[in-house]
Amino acid sequence: MYFWCIDSRYPDVWIVVPAFNEATVIGDVIADVRTVFDHVVCVDDGSSDDTGALALRAGAHLVRHPVNLGQGAAIQTGVEYARSQPGAEVFVTFDADGQHRVKDVLRIIDKLTAEDVDVVIGTRFADHGVRSDVPLIKRVVLRTAVFLSPRNRRLGLSDAHNGLRVFNRRVAEGLDITMSGMGHASEFVALIDENGWRVTEEPVEILYTAYSKSKGQPLVNGVNILFDGFLRGRKS
Amino acid sequence: MNWIQGLVIAAVIALLVFLLRSRGSVQARAWVKVGYVLFVVAGIYAVLRPNDTTVVAHWVGVGRGTDLMLYLLIVVFAYTTLNTYLHFRDVELRYTRLARAIALEGAQRPES
Repeated sequence: MYFWCIDSRYPDVWIVVPAFNEATVIGDVIADVRTVFDHVVCVDDGSSDDTGALALRAGAHLVRHPVNLGQGAAIQTGVEYARSQPGAEVFVTFDADGQHRVKDVLRIIDKLTAEDVDVVIGTRFADHGVRSDVPLIKRVVLRTAVFLSPRNRRLGLSDAHNGLRVFNRRVAEGLDITMSGMGHASEFVALIDENGWRVTEEPVEILYTAYSKSKGQPLVNGVNILFDGFLRGRKS
Repeated sequence: MNWIQGLVIAAVIALLVFLLRSRGSVQARAWVKVGYVLFVVAGIYAVLRPNDTTVVAHWVGVGRGTDLMLYLLIVVFAYTTLNTYLHFRDVELRYTRLARAIALEGAQRPES
């Protein structure tokens, strides 16, 4: 039904969707993304359900981890796949549970080119105006995490654990996430800092549906993130 | 502060710094082996002449040789735990890269 624009819509953009047991929503999420973007790669992180097949049917490229490796590893795999595709210039990480909005992605892509930066990270906490739909405890914990990190403050990031990120080829080439689990968000920020990538953020809305809440990481996982961050060696 | 307190704390910090800074290098692995040999020799000596550990314990301000052994054991245990944790993380990273290579080999394109 949209044959007329298939070649013209963001041919240089690749959307990376890491997914683990998301069969109930993945088809809709991919289809939604595909209304705007042609190139989507879903990394099925060793799901035990039909996530991979459904993503493929919805029009995504599919890379399937033979075993579950964690979200950080899935993002790295997706970026490595996308950066090997001809013409790929802009890369987007997009959560599979449907909590991001495609129109936010469009705005962030515009910002990436307009402001001449390497990375744009979505934030729920811009302009001091805290979005009321972020659950209170979550808000406090996420704010504390940012406050405890001098790096985040120096880079001017207010929400480093947002799953929506847009970056250019320079970042995609240099990206090397080694934290398999949820520590990868902090690692992403560390990589930005170490490589001197120019970063900014853009307010986005997170749709906290009952589904995405049930899939979200437990808050206590913040302890793991902190601990792993301290012990993070740059060994490859 | 007792001598023992200072010594044990210093040992813990030294091990941690050593472990975090030179993990995996050839030198570090060699020193771990040297340390292990010393540990075995000291262990055998302590078994043969248990009262001597009490003498050493008195030097550093601990009442009994047994208590000194306990303190040292705690330090060694903490070191081993941390070392194992870091080792597992390295192994996991390699395993991740292997799995990723397999995944990328088998990537599927959508039909159409």
